[in-house]
Parts: sequence; C-alpha cells; structure tokens
Amino acid sequence: MAGLALEGVGRDYGATRAVGRVDLAFREGELTALLGPSGCGKTTLLRIIAGLEPPSRGRILLGGRDITAMPAHLRRFGMVFQSFALFPHLNVRDNVAYSLAISGTGRAARHARADELLDLVRLGHLGDRSISALSGGQKQRVAIARALAQDPEVFLLDEPMSALDAKLREEMQVELRLLQQRLGITTIVVTHDQREAMSMADRIVVMSEGRAEQVGAPQEIYDRPDNAFVAGFIGRNNFFDAVAVPGGLEADGYRLALEPGPAFRPGSPVRAACRPERIRLGQDLPEGNRLPARVVFVRAIGSERDVHVETPLGPFVVAQGSGLQGGDGIAAGREVALHLPPGALQVYPAQSRPREVA
Amino acid sequence: MSDESLPAPRAGAPGPGARIGGGTLLQVGLAVLLAFLCLAPFALIVAISFGEKVQGAAWIWSVDPGNYARVFVGALWPEEFSGLYLQRLWYSVLYATLGAVLAVATAFPFTWFLTRTGRRAQTIWLVFLLSSVSVSEVFVVMGWDILLSNRSGLPMVARETGLTDWLKAVGWFDTLRGWGLANPRDLKFKTSATATVLTMTYLVWPYAVILLYPPLSRLDPALTEAARTMGARPATVIRTVVLPVLRLPLLGAVMFLFVYLLGVYVTVSVFAAPSQQTLAVSIYDAVRGATLDAPFGAAQSVVLLAVAALCLWFGQRLGGRGA
Repeated sequence: MAGLALEGVGRDYGATRAVGRVDLAFREGELTALLGPSGCGKTTLLRIIAGLEPPSRGRILLGGRDITAMPAHLRRFGMVFQSFALFPHLNVRDNVAYSLAISGTGRAARHARADELLDLVRLGHLGDRSISALSGGQKQRVAIARALAQDPEVFLLDEPMSALDAKLREEMQVELRLLQQRLGITTIVVTHDQREAMSMADRIVVMSEGRAEQVGAPQEIYDRPDNAFVAGFIGRNNFFDAVAVPGGLEADGYRLALEPGPAFRPGSPVRAACRPERIRLGQDLPEGNRLPARVVFVRAIGSERDVHVETPLGPFVVAQGSGLQGGDGIAAGREVALHLPPGALQVYPAQSRPREVA
Repeated sequence: MSDESLPAPRAGAPGPGARIGGGTLLQVGLAVLLAFLCLAPFALIVAISFGEKVQGAAWIWSVDPGNYARVFVGALWPEEFSGLYLQRLWYSVLYATLGAVLAVATAFPFTWFLTRTGRRAQTIWLVFLLSSVSVSEVFVVMGWDILLSNRSGLPMVARETGLTDWLKAVGWFDTLRGWGLANPRDLKFKTSATATVLTMTYLVWPYAVILLYPPLSRLDPALTEAARTMGARPATVIRTVVLPVLRLPLLGAVMFLFVYLLGVYVTVSVFAAPSQQTLAVSIYDAVRGATLDAPFGAAQSVVLLAVAALCLWFGQRLGGRGA
C-alpha cells in the first residue's frame, strides 16, 4: 500500500457544511490524529474514509486507486467505535473472529486467529467470556483485536479512549501506540483530547469548522502554530491585540521586539500570543519586552505553579517549572515585571481569534 | 444520662415494627382486588367446566370431567373416537402462529426502514398506525370481506382485467386451485385458510410495528456499521447482527400476537371453511350459540388457555436459551 490520500473531500448535510474541502495524505505505517473541538467534522471525515458516509465532493485514493464509491464492506478498514460496538450475542472470541466467520474461514482457523489477536491485546484467557462481563478497558481491547482480525490496510479509531477513566486512558494510549508501532499499520485516530493526540500521534491534523487548519508533527504544531485557532487549541497561550511596527509590535504604548520581525505591513492590527512557560517573571529580567504586572492569583502544584497576573495588555498566565525557588516573594497583590522573549512571541492576523478551549 | 430520664413505653402500645401504615393497608387492599379480578373469572370458568348440561335446560354444578373428555376424544368415546375439537384446537394454533409470524416478518423490514427515516416521517407513520389500531375487528373483517368477495372483490378484478385468463394460459391457475384459492372458473379467496391468515395478519400488523419500534430504534447503529467495516454485506448484517441482537423482542412480539390471535372470532367465522374453524368459534357456539352448553364451552376455554400457556412457556425457553 502506498498510503491513503484525500483530495478535496467534503460532506454537506442539506445547507450545513460538515466538512469543507480537505486534502490530506496519510503516510503508510504512521499514526495520524484528527484533532479538533466537537462539531469540527473530524468524525464525519473518519466515517467518509471508512465508507460509512458518502462524500459530497472529492476523491479518496488508496495506493493510488480511487475507492470513493467503494462500499464499507469492500474497503474492510478495521474500525474501533466510540461505544466499541461489540456484538452482545457473541462471546469475546466470536466477536474477534466475526470478520473471518462471515468470509467463510473455517471454525478452527478463525478461532486460532482470534486467540492469537486476544493474546496480542493481553486477553488470551477471556475468549469464552460474555461481552457483558468485561470492563471498559477489556472491551476496548476486544474492539481493537476485532478490528485487526481482517488484516486491514487502514486502522481507524473514533474517540477510542472517551469511554475510559483518566488513568486507564493514559495506559491505553501507550498500549495502543506500542501495538500500532509493532504492527506498522497506517492508523487514523479521531480525538478531541490534545494530550492524547500529542502523546500518540506521528502527525496531527488540527481541524476546525470542517477545515484542516494545520498538519504537522505534534511538537512542530505546538511550537509553530499556523494560526490563532491552532495556537489557542494546542496547549495554553496568552493572547493580546497589537499593531505591527518595523522590527516588532506596539501594544498599548509598549514596544515589543520580535525575532524574526513581523511579516505584516507596519500599522497592521495583529493578534499576538505567548506561551505561559516562555514568559519570565520577577528579578534580573533582560532589557526590553517588559510589561508591568500585578499578581492576582498563584496556583501552586508541588514544584510547579501558575501565576495569574493583570497587565496593561490584559490578563496573562505565567507557568513556572521545576527550577522554582521558594521564597521569591511572588504572591497575590504583588507588583512585578514580565518579560516576553522576542523569540517566544507569535503573531497572527487580527481577525483570527482563538476559540475558547476548556 | 440515666435510664430514668427516658420515657417508659406505655403498656400495650405497639412498637415501631408492629405499626401498620395506611400505605401498607392500601397496598394489601389493591393486591387483594387485583388477585380477585385476575383469578375470580378464571376460577369460575374452571368450576363451570366441571358442570353438567341438563338437556332442555341450563346446567348444574357438578364434578364431571366429561367435558374435557369430549374435547380430547369426543362425547361417544370409548365406543367412537372424535378428534373434532382437537382439530379445531390445531387450527387455532396454526392460524395464530402463521398470522403472528407473518405479521412480525412483514412488520420487521417496514419498522427497520421507519426507524431510519426522519423524526417527522416516523411521527406521522406511528400516529397513522396507532389510529388504525382503534379500528375494530368487525370493521376490518367487513373491509376484507368485500375485498376478497368472489363477485365484487379481487377475483372480479382478476377476471375483468384478464389476469384469470392469463393464469389459466400459463398453467398457474391449476396450482392455485390445488391451494384452494380458485374454483373451476375464477379465483376464490372465500372461504380459505389463506384469507383467514391474511386477515389475521392485517389485524395485528400495526401491533407488530408498535412492538418492534422501540427495540429497533434503540439498536445502536454502531453495531451494524461495525459489521459493515468488517466485510458484511447489508443482508449479512441483518442475518448475523440485527436478528440475533433483536431475537428476544422478535420472539416476544410473536408470542404476544399469537396469544391475541388465539381468541380471534369474527375473522375465522367469516373467512375459514366450516371444516377449518377454530376453538374460539366453537367456544362461542357452546356458550352463546344453539347448544347453550356453558360447561363444555368453559372446558374448551380452559384447554385453549392451557395450550396458550404451554406455547408461551416453550417460547420463553427458546428465548432464554438464545439469551
């Protein structure tokens, strides 16, 4: 297989455009996460890839072959559903062996394959158990084993961790990633959880309002967001309005240097952002790019803390890490100074506003 | 604090455990009333079934098992065996089974597609079906009586449109005659087992849809989609996922309609041939008809009830094993 490609794929429901025109290439053996808030079209896009929804426009290519009109049962992409969708009338082994049973594989052969897959997901001892007697994590593993039984060319997962508790979710993220790397299968995971996407994916597709806003490696997207939406959705950020000036920005009378300089015409209104962990606070700050601030709240979590401050440009959050020394006098009500490093400032067109992200 | 400070219980006053509230009394009263309403008519019928018919008069209380013997082996046994009432029992079970299975089998695909239409269309269909339930058996039978009548119904339409001649030309007319659906000249639906079963099916079809709608609309669409992604064609999805998952609701619907159809009277008396009448018709004839033999009618009722209970038990065992 030479990978999966989407060319201008979109989906409309009457007058509502769920997915605009998406062009994406999924590389063979990679795990790609479709990440975005609820209603951004990521699940619809996954369902189009699986053949469960017909696209309103565009083409889907698998190894260069057009499979747009191919029904789901002929594509045979393994898929794990949000609810796991395990068949309640079959036991664990027969669930895993379902695709082999309907394709006419003999009983002994399909049971052997099912047991092999159950061993792979560490459930080899539960083959005879009823689905209703499984825990959430076990159900998810059965769903994964079942989707892999037909040796799919593409492995699709729709919010696979959403039904699991936080601890189990983190364990399963690692387990799923290790399994995917071992099998080398092209995998697409839909999630709204940026931590899940960042910890599992080779590449992330950040989606919003039916569009792919940015495609890239997790760290690349975090360090260099293409627009204010991505900057606000991936990780935390402090946003403020400014005007582009030669070599930097001007915001509420404060001049801030940028490295490299802004790619905006001087006088253009812009939206600037700075990650909380890149802001410096307190004594011995470098010259320039300073703002006066008043501490309004300190949220301390062990050796780390978030300092919420009020500045002339609006509220900022400053994240201070493990090198923190006690007794530096940072407390609510204290007047301090902030330093926004020139290389940490990101600048976007003024009309692109980040969406509130929980 | 000393024990003396506690107020001493009055002699003869009931403790908290012995107190009976008004709510408990109401519950007991309702339970007794329900038990009476459910059991009294049944007990009365069982008691009457052992009664004795007095020729030229009504009947008297007795402990005579002769009415049951008459149902199973005939009134002249052991000199002569008659299976007339067993045959009627057989037709009761046969018509009810066929009608119930046919109604559920045809309502299932309809309800399946209904649950996949928009909310508005579903509401319109369900209101229409619920309103059709309010039409009485007599009205339905009258409509089907006209539709299937030999002079003005479908046989007349077939004759006038040339369908009857075409059936004769291709040789299918003789096949229909073999099934009792044609006389030497025309198609004929009355009287026939086909017309009886079809009318019964029509009678309970809205109930079948209403019974199947909740489980079908609750079926997780991800189950069928999962099967599709694993290579199952639509028919395979129905056969290997939908029907097994909905096995119990389907069986329950068949059993409910079966019990309902066991007691259908008007349809059978209009559409079934005299030799293929059911026990329900026979019971009515005994109780209210020419013979006025209430004990024999009661005995037939008890037998019909026992057979219904037996069928339900068998169905439950079948469903339980599947689950």
